[in-house]
Amino acid sequence: MRLVSRKNANLLITLLSLAITIIAIVPLLWIIGCVIANGASAINLEFLTDTPAPYGESGGGIANAILGTLIINAMASLFGIPVGVLTGMYLSEYANSGKFSSVIRASVESFSGVPSIIFGIFAFTLIVTAAQHYTALAAAFALGLMMVPIVAKATEESMRVVSDDIREAAIALGIPKWARTVKIVLGVARGGVITGSLLAFARISGETAPLLFTSLFSFYWPTGIDQPMATLQVLIYNFALSGYPDRVLQAWGASLLLVILVIVINVAVKVVTRPKYKEGF
Amino acid sequence: MANGSVKLDIQRLEAWFGDKQALKGISLRIKPKTVTAIIGPSGCGKSTFIRCINRMHELTPGNKVAGTILLDGVDIYNDMDSMDVRRKVGMVFQKPNPFPNMSIADNVVAGLKLINAAGKKELEEMAEENLKAVGLWGEVENDLKKSGASLSGGQQQRLCIARALAMRPEIILMDEPTSALDPASTAKIEELMKTLKAETTVIIITHNVQQAARISDMTAFFYLGELIEYDDTRRIFESPKSPLTERYIMGRFG
Repeated sequence: MRLVSRKNANLLITLLSLAITIIAIVPLLWIIGCVIANGASAINLEFLTDTPAPYGESGGGIANAILGTLIINAMASLFGIPVGVLTGMYLSEYANSGKFSSVIRASVESFSGVPSIIFGIFAFTLIVTAAQHYTALAAAFALGLMMVPIVAKATEESMRVVSDDIREAAIALGIPKWARTVKIVLGVARGGVITGSLLAFARISGETAPLLFTSLFSFYWPTGIDQPMATLQVLIYNFALSGYPDRVLQAWGASLLLVILVIVINVAVKVVTRPKYKEGF
Repeated sequence: MANGSVKLDIQRLEAWFGDKQALKGISLRIKPKTVTAIIGPSGCGKSTFIRCINRMHELTPGNKVAGTILLDGVDIYNDMDSMDVRRKVGMVFQKPNPFPNMSIADNVVAGLKLINAAGKKELEEMAEENLKAVGLWGEVENDLKKSGASLSGGQQQRLCIARALAMRPEIILMDEPTSALDPASTAKIEELMKTLKAETTVIIITHNVQQAARISDMTAFFYLGELIEYDDTRRIFESPKSPLTERYIMGRFG
């Protein structure tokens, strides 16, 4: 009697969890399918190499937005990754249980929960109002700030799990603390740091709100990093709401490119985190 | 004893973990180019003792050291920088701990490379020389670029010895270097220790009294944080003065 009910309970839970998983997965596949179905037809050579056509005319491309997203992401990474890595390094190797360290740790924690629009307003207030025009630098600053907590936490976690045996080996060789930290502990933790950086890059690639306040948009090729600059995210926002069927189609195409970018990054993470040497000999 | 025949002069050494005293008034003199075995039951202060010699005991907050240790007549606590002490007093640990992010060759010269003590050409020569010294060269000659973590446990331990030797230390401390290894790897490392003492002074902790008898010139028996007996290894094993030493060697406790 009990045996039967245990088997039934087991079956019930298996089916239930399977059903819920499917419910969760379906919208995800639906989104990707929808983006491919609507966006694939927009992609051609002109789409990838040209700037947008004037309103009402067909054709044109989104190459300036692709380049803009890459430029702004690169500038954000140039700022966000080093600051994040150094913050994580501090938290893992230098922070103690004192007040200063706990303030830093709490800041990093809460930093990652701040809505992205706040970073946009902050960069707007600090940089755009001072420059008196929209600028890609402000966008890179806002996105870079968003990367800091992600990279810092990944760095801290992966440096913390480096075995103390390794630290002791380095101490016993008379290697000074800075070199132990940077060249040995960080070196051992490198995989986790790269993973965190890639995930942070993927995260900012989808952010739109901070860009609306900062880099805004442009129909032309980027002219300078202190000027307004087109991005895929803002292009999707603008074109999808434009009402012109050609533009809406191009918004789908741009969405597909963004989805591909994020998938490529996630595959790269898998490759980076794949163990280099098999356990055991 | 004449000055030249004392490498390490330890006087009334005391050590604490917080309030708990781990070493009580240890005094002993170690001659250059000898192998000294430290034996005694678990928790008797053997590891604490050798970690005072390269100033690693003091790294844990709350730990304290008192007394004097002279290396070639120089006080390592008052007249030397801790980093310099550790470059002159190398250490090999119980568990092999090569740097997993570095190649075999880079592991050997890690200490020199990270303090910029040598050029590229010199580093390559040092790597080869020290891998030869530990008998690993023939086994890894074609794999120098592979990760140090790709080697077997016994090879990793010899790599760690090569890494310590590359600093040209005056003294090498070994904390049960063979207890995690198979008998064949253990035999290789014991053989290696006999050649090491031509160049350097070796202090080795071992739980295996037969190993102490096989490889050491002098043996020190520690018990509950005190040095019970320190003498020629032969005399310790043939006619120990203390009944405690005798009982430990006979395997009656520990």
